[in-house]
Amino acid sequence: MNSKLEELESLLFDWEAGTLSDEGVERVREILRSDEDAKAFFVQQQVLTAALKLDVDAGLEPPAMESPAVEPSTVEERIPVLNPSVSRKQLNRDSRINLWAAFAGLCLICVLAVRVFYLEASKSSGPESIAGINDLQHGEKGEATSSGIALVTSLVDVIWEADQSPLEVGDALSPGRLAIVSGFAQIEFFCGATVIVEGPAELDLKSVSAARVHHGRLRAQVPPAARGFSLELDDMKLVDLGTEFGVSMSPDGADVQVFDGEVELHKPGQSKRLMTTGQAGVFKEDGTFQVEQIQPEQFLDIATLELRAKSQDESRYQAWKLWSSNFQRDSRLIAYYSFDEEGDWKRKLKSSIQAESGELDGAIVGANRVQGRWSSKSALEFKRPGDRVRMHIPGEFSSLTLSCWVKIDSLDRWYNSLFLTDGYNQGEPHWQILDTGQLFFSVRHKSDDARGPDARKRTHHIVLSPPFWKPSLSGRWLHLATTYDAGSGKTKHYLNGDLLHEEEIAKDLLVKTTRIRDASIGNWTLPTEEDTEFAVRNLNGSIDEFAIFAAALSASEIKEIYNHGKP
Amino acid sequence: MEQTDNSEIFVRHLTEHQNRIYGYVFSLVGDHSRAADVVQETNLVLWRKIGEFKQDREFLPWAFAIARIQVLAHLRDRKRDRLLLDAELAEAMSVEAEKQAEKIDIIREALRPCLQVLTPTNRELIERRYFRSMSIDDVAESVDRTTGAVKVALLRIRRQLADCVQQRTTAGG
Repeated sequence: MNSKLEELESLLFDWEAGTLSDEGVERVREILRSDEDAKAFFVQQQVLTAALKLDVDAGLEPPAMESPAVEPSTVEERIPVLNPSVSRKQLNRDSRINLWAAFAGLCLICVLAVRVFYLEASKSSGPESIAGINDLQHGEKGEATSSGIALVTSLVDVIWEADQSPLEVGDALSPGRLAIVSGFAQIEFFCGATVIVEGPAELDLKSVSAARVHHGRLRAQVPPAARGFSLELDDMKLVDLGTEFGVSMSPDGADVQVFDGEVELHKPGQSKRLMTTGQAGVFKEDGTFQVEQIQPEQFLDIATLELRAKSQDESRYQAWKLWSSNFQRDSRLIAYYSFDEEGDWKRKLKSSIQAESGELDGAIVGANRVQGRWSSKSALEFKRPGDRVRMHIPGEFSSLTLSCWVKIDSLDRWYNSLFLTDGYNQGEPHWQILDTGQLFFSVRHKSDDARGPDARKRTHHIVLSPPFWKPSLSGRWLHLATTYDAGSGKTKHYLNGDLLHEEEIAKDLLVKTTRIRDASIGNWTLPTEEDTEFAVRNLNGSIDEFAIFAAALSASEIKEIYNHGKP
Repeated sequence: MEQTDNSEIFVRHLTEHQNRIYGYVFSLVGDHSRAADVVQETNLVLWRKIGEFKQDREFLPWAFAIARIQVLAHLRDRKRDRLLLDAELAEAMSVEAEKQAEKIDIIREALRPCLQVLTPTNRELIERRYFRSMSIDDVAESVDRTTGAVKVALLRIRRQLADCVQQRTTAGG
């Protein structure tokens, strides 16, 4: 910036602060009169100030760093902030609201003159940004929050009760009911106690260190740090003093077995009873206590559960392998990378299908091989700004489907790449995730040099999903898919097999012929850049399985990919 | 019904372009409350001239032309008030202001993520100055720094924001 502009910047600052002298005002005018660059710079500064001011009037708080967790289901109605097409639509809708507000008034002119401005100032970019920003991005200022009292850490053959929404490994549990028909669930309370629940069972999770057992069998391991962990069994309360024990609740009573350490049992109207290592007994429904032999083998322990989990993991992996070998015969596949090559990869991402023309194998740059969805399967981790897989995919297509399994560590970049074509030339897609947690898909329609008013200058229609990301999804394998129908322009985003967002691409920006050519998984390469600087768009996370189809897959086909591929 | 239809379209346009008109007026008038006054005057004039507005005519250039007249009138009428620009300069910068104000919604969209990437300390400064409208002296006192230091810091952050907005509005996709 030249010194004149710097001086102008400083003077303008003082003007805004109300401290500029008359000489200062004269100096501003002098600089502006003498310099065209200064004029443009001045206007730019003023428009930025006006933009900030409009945000203030709209009641937008400056954003906090982290977004508190939001369930995808609650954000469906919210319209993405960064979507020009939607906000335009939304603006029109707002105008209608304003219009009717205006006509409803007796004095149209008064309403227009006074209210339109304020209505507009407060609604300017629509309720979407107000709701979106306040609730989604920074509803509460300061640190991001998450809720829960325990984590699901292992699930083996679990069948959930019909009224219980199925949980996944890694889910945080809030206070409430946990009911399984069969199988084993390992729950780690935040206090440090680990509980293995065997179905059929029904529990009420109360707090980070307490639960009520309605029925079922469970084994708890309570290390010293978690001492005081308690279970309510009917009218009785079991307080653990640092130990390992089993409980089986049935209509007949509560069977308590202490494998190690000691537990205290409190029953109203009775003195507390202490049970120590090797003791076992049933507290009968009629209030009597019956001593019995200890039988630790009746209660599945952590080590055995781990073994079972491992074998379940292995069998799921084998089942996926089988499905995948059939899946790759789908004639609509343009490219498919299963990330399942055995042995040394030699820095190549082997294509699982053969192309008629040319080689589809990708070149791995930087990205490290890590464990994938199952312990015997691989994935690639993208961490550093240079990490990527390069590929060349020839041919011309019309409709497209992009599908991948991704584990996101965090969304650090404005654009976090899934799959980006190098040139982003006409007909080439870009598939990425915004830092706001919105899935982004676009196909370039016009070349960059298109001229004309802004509306006509648009070179693509970006289809953005509502934000689906929340920090609690970090480290979880997610299935993302986007289908693009070149006939109707209908574009759909899917998360874990469920439709996330659906939008029709504007007719004038609809692309009939699509191409891929040079592209990267997990990053973006600008073809024109020689070296030095490049836009940092690398994904911070891992990818395991990636497929591109020359067709828009149906919702049930996406669901099928998800069901067979979920870990 | 024709009049109603026309009014409806007119109001829709007026609402849609309200921020752009504000951005245009503010950049030439240089003061928020004055700018709000001029925008209201402009809205009134536009409404009175609704007969001139034809559906096939582009609304924004027409609105900018009216706003320009209002801005110039304002600057000439209030000569005795303290103003940053005189009417001649405002006129000379009118085209540039139109060009930039057209993009104000895009700039606002870009601004949000740009604010997000500021360091907590910097964001706090911006928040105090722009969102809580604290004076520079008060900001300085609240963060226990000198007025000069706060000015330097705020200028730097503004420059960072401007660069970020610039990149985001040109790089998208």
